[in-house]
Amino acid sequence: MSTNQIQLTIDDRQVTVDAGTTVFDAARANGIPIPTLCHQQNETPVGVCRVCVVDVNARVLTAACVREAENGMVVKTNSDKVQAARKTLVELLMTDHPTPCARQQHSGDCELETLATTIGASQSRFPKRTTPTRGKDDSSLSIMVDHSACILCDRCVRGCSEIRHNFVIARQGKGFETGIAFDSNSPMGSSSCVSCGECMVSCPTGALTNKRVIGQHFEQFANTDAVEVRELLALPVFKGVSGTFLELNKTAVSKRYFKAGEIIVREGEQGSTAFYILEGKVNIYISTPRAHVTTEDANEGLLSKLKSRLVTRKNDVRPEENTHRKWIPIDGPVDLAYDDPVAELVAGDLFGEMTCMSFYPRSATVRASTDCVMLEMLRNVLDVLQKNKTFRAQLDVNYRKRALQTHLKSVPVFHGLSNDFVHKLQDRVELIRYSPGQVITRQGDLADSFYLVRIGFVKVSEVRLGGELVLAYVSRGNYFGEIGLLGEGFRTATCTALDHVELVKINADDFREMLDSFPEIRGNLEAVARERQLANQLRVSQFRSVPVEEFLNQGLMDAQSLLVLDLDRCTRCDMCVKACADAHDGVTRLIRDGLRFDRYLIATSCRQCRDPLCMVGCPVGAIRRRNSLEVIIEDWCVGCGLCANNCPYGNINLHEFSVDGPVQQQVGQAGVSQSDVHHKATVRKATSCNLCHDQGTPSCVYACPHDAAHRVNPTEFFAEMLGNMTPVAPTETQRKARQRKVEIPGNKI
Amino acid sequence: MRIDETHRQWFIGSVVGLLVSSLIYAVYAGRSPQGPHGGSRMGIIFGVVGYIFMIFAGLLGMRKKFPIWRIGRAQTWMRGHLWLGLLSFPLILFHSGFSFRGGALTSLLMTLFVIVILSGILGAVLQHYMPRLITQQVPMETIYDQIDRVRGTLLGEADVLVAELSDPVKMQSIALQSDTEEIGAVSTVLRLELEATEELRDFYEKLMRPYLAQVGKGMPPGSVLSSAIESKQNFVRLRTLMPKVVHSSISDLEDICEEKRELDRQSKLHKVLHGWLMVHIPLSLALVILGLVHAIGALRY
Repeated sequence: MSTNQIQLTIDDRQVTVDAGTTVFDAARANGIPIPTLCHQQNETPVGVCRVCVVDVNARVLTAACVREAENGMVVKTNSDKVQAARKTLVELLMTDHPTPCARQQHSGDCELETLATTIGASQSRFPKRTTPTRGKDDSSLSIMVDHSACILCDRCVRGCSEIRHNFVIARQGKGFETGIAFDSNSPMGSSSCVSCGECMVSCPTGALTNKRVIGQHFEQFANTDAVEVRELLALPVFKGVSGTFLELNKTAVSKRYFKAGEIIVREGEQGSTAFYILEGKVNIYISTPRAHVTTEDANEGLLSKLKSRLVTRKNDVRPEENTHRKWIPIDGPVDLAYDDPVAELVAGDLFGEMTCMSFYPRSATVRASTDCVMLEMLRNVLDVLQKNKTFRAQLDVNYRKRALQTHLKSVPVFHGLSNDFVHKLQDRVELIRYSPGQVITRQGDLADSFYLVRIGFVKVSEVRLGGELVLAYVSRGNYFGEIGLLGEGFRTATCTALDHVELVKINADDFREMLDSFPEIRGNLEAVARERQLANQLRVSQFRSVPVEEFLNQGLMDAQSLLVLDLDRCTRCDMCVKACADAHDGVTRLIRDGLRFDRYLIATSCRQCRDPLCMVGCPVGAIRRRNSLEVIIEDWCVGCGLCANNCPYGNINLHEFSVDGPVQQQVGQAGVSQSDVHHKATVRKATSCNLCHDQGTPSCVYACPHDAAHRVNPTEFFAEMLGNMTPVAPTETQRKARQRKVEIPGNKI
Repeated sequence: MRIDETHRQWFIGSVVGLLVSSLIYAVYAGRSPQGPHGGSRMGIIFGVVGYIFMIFAGLLGMRKKFPIWRIGRAQTWMRGHLWLGLLSFPLILFHSGFSFRGGALTSLLMTLFVIVILSGILGAVLQHYMPRLITQQVPMETIYDQIDRVRGTLLGEADVLVAELSDPVKMQSIALQSDTEEIGAVSTVLRLELEATEELRDFYEKLMRPYLAQVGKGMPPGSVLSSAIESKQNFVRLRTLMPKVVHSSISDLEDICEEKRELDRQSKLHKVLHGWLMVHIPLSLALVILGLVHAIGALRY
């Protein structure tokens, strides 16, 4: 025995260990098991669970994991006294633990419950906790937190801090209310947690468990390979990701091989995965020809054809708004040029983030231009990657180098920015991510930055007496935060992430420098800010004027323009529908059916809602509203139908029609240029009432011979009668009847 | 079109026009030794002005063919159609000197004109009152062209309901799921199943299904279900026969019949509201063409 070694007796066995060794380690090194919960070999012992109590012939029992062994010490690990104390401790822990917990249910290896069974403490003598449980946190995509199953062993805290050096988890609260917390007690999903999974693999119970991605699975493609964890960990982008986490989620990522020319995803399709290009190049493009819905070719009869030729229409052309966009936003690292919507992605690029994280339809078609190897992943893996510092750094570099310039210049007001200034901004802007529901700026806060939306949708709302008033939805290619910076320095509205949002943040100093350097941009921004403020004031004034509950129930309060038909005047001649069809190349955008309000029929036609839910989620930003009231559907709509599904009133329809246009499927192939590939195609696009903005009065109203059809602001139109009337509430029979009617197929005339 | 205070200007204009033309006619008639007639200068002027008004009234039909042409709102054209069309009648009477006699063409023209004017007045009256009547009497109104489709949907729903009620297994299942206070509901259902189901099927096959399947939009003659009272009596009788657990399904069947009655009512009212046009439009067209023939013939010969 060297001088650095000591001798002690454990359970009647003489053992020799190095000085400084704990009793627990000394016993384990000599094959004597001591049960424990809070202690792990790779973490600093803390002795909080006390399950490893041993008798060292001292005044009280001691925790073996923290007690240093002493020369000549006599340790009893399994005496009656120790067993009784350990059993009581486990019984007490079991009273505050759901049985069986999630881990025990799924894999049967909850350490506490296993130990309780082993030592005969499954049935606790003490009553279970009667106060409300501490609840669950479902906010993380990969880890489920059940606070009520937590035994406060601190293994997750030490795993996060000592092993991963992330310092996200700590204890919070006092006494019976004590629990673990992420950052300053934020939900795990919106904390700075990087989803490395260390806490989950450290947890002895079902408090932190791996979340299965329910309902998602890879289709079995011929060109798919399962990926080994060590192969993933060898990739630079997975550096720092927990191997255990990847092992648990290895079915959520696969390696795919594509031959040159093969289509990887198609625009408009539903999906749930993102792709990371490992090798090769792809073309990303919108193949749907750009066009507004028309059925000119479908016109039958001489008179109809003659009319079609004689009447000039300017559907959705708005020279006065100067809205001709040069860039189409897509779910990828680049925007597509309006005139030639094709771009190239290379190894290291990621696409399909919005589809993967928020289940939006695919925004563009991607075709392999060379043989490619890709990682296709589900959102729990993508979420981990996006929180991974190495991967984030690579994406940031890619974005700053390749996409920031086109992204900034795709916003009309920034068109005049010089390349030099953009280069300057490249190193200064921040890319920030927000989870669904997270507040980005709060009304009344100090305005310290300006934001460009890169991914996702942001709700801009104002809190007023009586509730929240949604002012706008902002998506990729748009921006917010300028009113506060240009005005009094305070936020005038609250901006909240509606889904997984990524923003480009320009701080106030850089923003001001930009305005000073480019007076034209200042002018443009100030003009936009004024328009937004005026529009907001108008909405707020309307919001205040008619506080009638029943009126709200029919959603009429939310409408800014309703097509109402006075049923006492309407002879049901359908001239309104015919006029609408005539005004839109044979495709009517209204159905003479809907809810009744007093003697008025609220026709099925766009209500120009204040809270235009239809605009949330458009994968290519084709549905929008600008300075005018009408909802505009741009000609690059890919026909995915999300806006139609989102409209609560069924006022957006999808139509198939034939169109001559450039078809991008073949662009990029050898010897094929953009101008070579024109041919007739059948496309599907969304339509909605555009108020016949190019003709002044809406055609339905203009063509009504009986003065029955009116486009009205509901709060003004119904204001007088709201005092002495009650909206007609449909009976059950009427409700069923209306359900039948809304199924009326097709509205082509 | 509803004729209300918004027509005031047109009404005043028409009355003034009538008074002025009457005054002129009175002077003209008093100064004509042979009495007023269509061949005189003043008669021709009345005839031309009256014919122009008729042409304008007739152009409403053309206006409707081009609903989005920005050539005046359709309601303005409709008001013009009503009031100028009406004013054309006294003008043509002034033209003819209130004579309905003459050649065959003249007599035919005057007869047509009277019919057109009367049918037009009938149409105006119908358009004034009927929309409100439809609104009140058909709360579950649908689009007229969709009536047959909705009727088909109703028939499908009724078929499914009756098939369920006729299926002993499903009946048992309904009884088991129902929160009934009746002890032994299941056995009651099973005991009554044979006789009650037969009765229900008989009612459905002989009365209700033919009523719902009625092709076209008119009321089937003689069906007891076309009367709300008789229908109610039939369903009350069915309820007494069938166990309580299926009463809600019986009510659904009753609602389907009620909706079918409404569809029939809507169909009937729609035909009344638009039927007069079958007389008015072709005769108006004939009147304008024959009027032109009359004018050319009279001026040439």
